[in-house]
Amino acid sequence: MAKSDDCIHILQGLLVFGNVVIGMCGIALTAECIYFVSDPHGLYPLLEATENNDIYAAAWIGIFVGFALFALSILGIVGILKSDRTLLLVYIILMLITFAFEMASCITAATHRDSLTPNLFLKQMLERYQQITANNNDKSMTEGVTKTWDKIMVQNHCCGVMGPSDWQEYTSAFRLTHSDADFPWPRKCCVLDAQGLPINLDGCKLGVPGYYNSNGCYDAISGPVNTHAWGVAWFGFAILCWTFCVLLGTMFYWSGIEY
Amino acid sequence: TMLPLLLLLLPAAHAIVEHVAYTPVLTTTPVLEGLTTASTFVLEQPRCVFEKYSNADIWLVVALEKTATTFNNSVAPGTPESAFQNFPDNAPAYMTLNATLANYPCAKSPGDITVLRVGSETSCTDDKARPTCNGPLSGPGPYLVKFLALEGSEPVAETGWSKPIMLRTAKSFNSISMTNGGHGAGMIAITTILSILFAILLAGLVAMLVFWGSDSCGGSSTFSKPESVTVRRYNTHHVYDQPSARL
Repeated sequence: MAKSDDCIHILQGLLVFGNVVIGMCGIALTAECIYFVSDPHGLYPLLEATENNDIYAAAWIGIFVGFALFALSILGIVGILKSDRTLLLVYIILMLITFAFEMASCITAATHRDSLTPNLFLKQMLERYQQITANNNDKSMTEGVTKTWDKIMVQNHCCGVMGPSDWQEYTSAFRLTHSDADFPWPRKCCVLDAQGLPINLDGCKLGVPGYYNSNGCYDAISGPVNTHAWGVAWFGFAILCWTFCVLLGTMFYWSGIEY
Repeated sequence: TMLPLLLLLLPAAHAIVEHVAYTPVLTTTPVLEGLTTASTFVLEQPRCVFEKYSNADIWLVVALEKTATTFNNSVAPGTPESAFQNFPDNAPAYMTLNATLANYPCAKSPGDITVLRVGSETSCTDDKARPTCNGPLSGPGPYLVKFLALEGSEPVAETGWSKPIMLRTAKSFNSISMTNGGHGAGMIAITTILSILFAILLAGLVAMLVFWGSDSCGGSSTFSKPESVTVRRYNTHHVYDQPSARL
């Protein structure tokens, strides 16, 4: 029956193609998640100090899921070309387990992204920036937060989360050790010269435009974090939708194999 | 002859303090981020105000709104009655930022920022030897200020009291609310759609395993595995003798 043979071959071809795409997407997912875990923007200390770094957990899961997808896609191609019921059953079950893990990763990344509001970073900055603490555990976190904020404020020419007025509107650990008259905001909020000193200290303290950074840093922080979260969540979602179709096709193919 | 002498002596007995028509004001240009902080504020310099008093010392008097009326112009600067360190508990006002007319020239060079920052000296806050310290203020106010010109120890001119100046008060950072704005639409979409897809796949898997062995669903469309062994047709000898049966 030539027509039925053709249909079978088309279905086989489609499933093989589907698995090839899954394999490539798996590698892309692994590469993307390795990029995020390597923290190119240096924002990890801020997330670590919030004591909730699920976005990194989601990226780690993504690395392993990517490898698993690549390996299983090869298994799937072999099983389809050989029309082997056992192989395809193993493939389907392992794919479902991988699907579940990737689903967890996407949902975690999306949920955690929603919790990273400006207020979260504001409270953390006021609490930890230049905090003097005796507890060793807290000390490394506090130093991480301080160094990261200094780096962000200098590199992005910004100050505070919403602006320099953050330091005026709220009390902070910084305010405990630096008087309001000398340090209305940290020195890193001043426009700095090549040596890292303010070009005009009085101008900075007064808040004269041009001698201090008037923007808030929230955009500089939330931009990379958003890219990270949406990269993991939405790319994973797209892969899972495609995998869903391929798995349905495989199940249909499996049920039609004579044994 | 006694009468003209008396008339001459009378004006000298009362020091006439000229009331200059100027009100101290917070700086308006340029717009300063630190115009008022928790302990400092920034005033416009009194330019073109004390032109007639080239010999006078011009002092800034800072008082609380409620103690301003009790300030007496004849209080001398640098005394405990006008010392920064005694303000506001033991002195109704303090005098600081001593300057002369040379510091406030009338001609303003363009591009210069001419301001007075009240509260910028942090080193002499507790130093009783520096009663004219321009130290940071300890409360939010409201404060009133005026300029007073003294020749020697006699007040000769004063400006009016400024409008009340309120400083900023800082809220505790624990008051920052951390309630989430709820879950975003994206997260809800991802969760629902993925859950539905996963449920369908699980149902499909269950259906596969339940119908394992029965050909019910795929009966008409079963296909055979590609055979690796070819079946050869066997022809018996007697078939060759009857060509008509070869079909």
